Amino acid sequence: MLWSQNASPLRSQNLCFVVCISLLSGVLSSLPELSDKSCTFKVTLRNFRVILSWEVKNHSIVPDHYTLQYTVISRPDGVKTVEHCSNITASFCDLTDVWEVLPETYAVTVDGFRGNTTLVTCFVDFFLAAYISLEPPEFDIVNFIDHINVNVNFPPVLPKILEELLQFHLSLIIEEQSGEIVKKHNPVLDENVIGNFTYVIDKLLPNTNYCVSIYFMPRNLEAIRRSPVKCTLLQPARDTGSSESARIGGIITMFLIAAVFISTIIILKRVGYICLRNDFPKVLNFNNLSAWVFPEMPPLEAVAFVEVIHINRKKKVWNYNYNDESDSNDEATAPLTSTGGYTKHGLLSGLPGPTSASSATGQDCLEPDTEEPNLSELEAESLMAPEPSPRLGKLLQDRFSEDGSSTEEAGDKIIFNVNLSSVFVSTLDDDSDIPPVLPSFPEETYDLEDSHTLEPSFLASGGEGTQPPFPTPSAECPCPEDVLSDKNDNSESDVDIGDGYIMR
Amino acid sequence: MTSRCILQTALLVYFSTTVLAMNYNLLRFQLSSSSVECQELLLQLNGTSKDCLKDRMNFKIPEEIQKSQQFQKEDIVLVTLEMFQKTSDIFRRNLSSTGWNESIVENLLATLHWQKEHLEEILEDIMQEENFTWDHRTLLHLKRYYLRIVRYLKAKEYSVCAWTIVQAEILKSFFFLDKLTDSLPN
Repeated sequence: MLWSQNASPLRSQNLCFVVCISLLSGVLSSLPELSDKSCTFKVTLRNFRVILSWEVKNHSIVPDHYTLQYTVISRPDGVKTVEHCSNITASFCDLTDVWEVLPETYAVTVDGFRGNTTLVTCFVDFFLAAYISLEPPEFDIVNFIDHINVNVNFPPVLPKILEELLQFHLSLIIEEQSGEIVKKHNPVLDENVIGNFTYVIDKLLPNTNYCVSIYFMPRNLEAIRRSPVKCTLLQPARDTGSSESARIGGIITMFLIAAVFISTIIILKRVGYICLRNDFPKVLNFNNLSAWVFPEMPPLEAVAFVEVIHINRKKKVWNYNYNDESDSNDEATAPLTSTGGYTKHGLLSGLPGPTSASSATGQDCLEPDTEEPNLSELEAESLMAPEPSPRLGKLLQDRFSEDGSSTEEAGDKIIFNVNLSSVFVSTLDDDSDIPPVLPSFPEETYDLEDSHTLEPSFLASGGEGTQPPFPTPSAECPCPEDVLSDKNDNSESDVDIGDGYIMR
Repeated sequence: MTSRCILQTALLVYFSTTVLAMNYNLLRFQLSSSSVECQELLLQLNGTSKDCLKDRMNFKIPEEIQKSQQFQKEDIVLVTLEMFQKTSDIFRRNLSSTGWNESIVENLLATLHWQKEHLEEILEDIMQEENFTWDHRTLLHLKRYYLRIVRYLKAKEYSVCAWTIVQAEILKSFFFLDKLTDSLPN
């Protein structure tokens, strides 16, 4: 019967037994000796046999034969004489097949005779389960390269008392020792274990010395009696086989360890956990002290200087009055310049003054001119839009119709030709008397003598860079809707001439 | 709300069973330890049955206990409690004729009492948390067994031989108690 082995340790409950019982009551094997005044008895499990042995205390009394009788305490049975233990010269008796009950108190009487004379009578009663001493069974070992077979000879037929012993009362322990290392193996024994059984101790190291010992461990933790130790030296392993495979396994293991280590380092570096980058941007590089102390000036931005030129220009008023006789004081006449020049279209007299905010702001934009407020509005609109706005057209149309002057048909558009290159934005300037420096606009003529009328000034580009001569949308002549709020504000604070830009 | 209540209940049941499982392992260990100690103390009580063979009596320990039939763990607890309880009751009776060492008897009674208390606590937990049918028949047989012992002692007037016979019988009962304890499930 071959028992597989998994190096199973002691059952935990048995281990707990050892610990706890030892703590509770010290050495539990301190049972009173089986003896009376004449003899000392001993009951032993020896090679799976229950042997009762005795010894007469008085060595001067030496019987030549003995007779053994017994009875049990739990039943009022009669005393029984053991036939094969009657008139024996040996001082022991095999009671394996006689005593079948383990948990029983047996009362034994041994009579020692010399001839027919009873020299001594010994009596003892004892609880068998408590007093039976378990001697280790006989065994032998067979060694191999990496395992040892432990052979234990069980009887071919288990006596009844042995069944109960192996089932409950005791367990078989096999100890394996190599150097200072001791391992215990506990094969499970049941009532069916018979004959030779082999327990395999595997996973051993080749070419190593191992010592094996076995013993029974009783449940009630009586004194353990170990077998004599049997030692063996395992056979060395074959070089071609196991050593080479071990070498290859070692190399693979080292490779795997190195791969894991390197991959871990790479991952940590990529995550940024280690080896943090230290290549800072140049601006954070403080190693160059001179650069730190004397920082380089940032490159200058392209700046365009703008000079505001105020031009006093005589307004050219387009007289819409086709009546040659009329000579209104409110009229202002101006020559109609040719294309490319600045043309102002005046309005007829009688036209309502500036009533809308837009017209007033239009004045602010150009230059406050009380003489022709309405015209300023138109001028503003004409300046802002290369195409006449519908509102401008309508306004002119209405005014034409009021005056009864020649008008175009209702709905006709009035188109103004506006030279975008000559669009100006007038600004308020304290030094309005100073004539502005004009850019080169060869097609335009200006009258600088009339200081009452201020022509819208224009922006002259100068200095570095260039600027278009007409205002950008950001600078400004505000749109009519934008200047509604500035209707009553004609102060110079509306104009900001800072940085060469005219702003409101 | 309902799911949380169900979860809490499930956790409570799980841990309760876990605790009870752990208690049974501990109980097995405690019972075995107590049984071994009681046997050792009983064996230390001196005495001989040489002149008491005429006073022997078969007390007929229940066959369920002798054969160690498969019990539920709750029944094992109840049976072992009954055995510890009755044994303690017996050894509180008149021991004057025995001449036994009183310290040994006191240690025996203390061990029996301690184990009995622990078994009662476990039994209370079992009765609160589990619903099962007790094996009343085994318990009844057990009660009758110990009653026979008590009646025997009374009849023998607590003689030394009677106590010697009872001592042997109690040792035998503890052996079977060990086998019962060993059958507790893990």
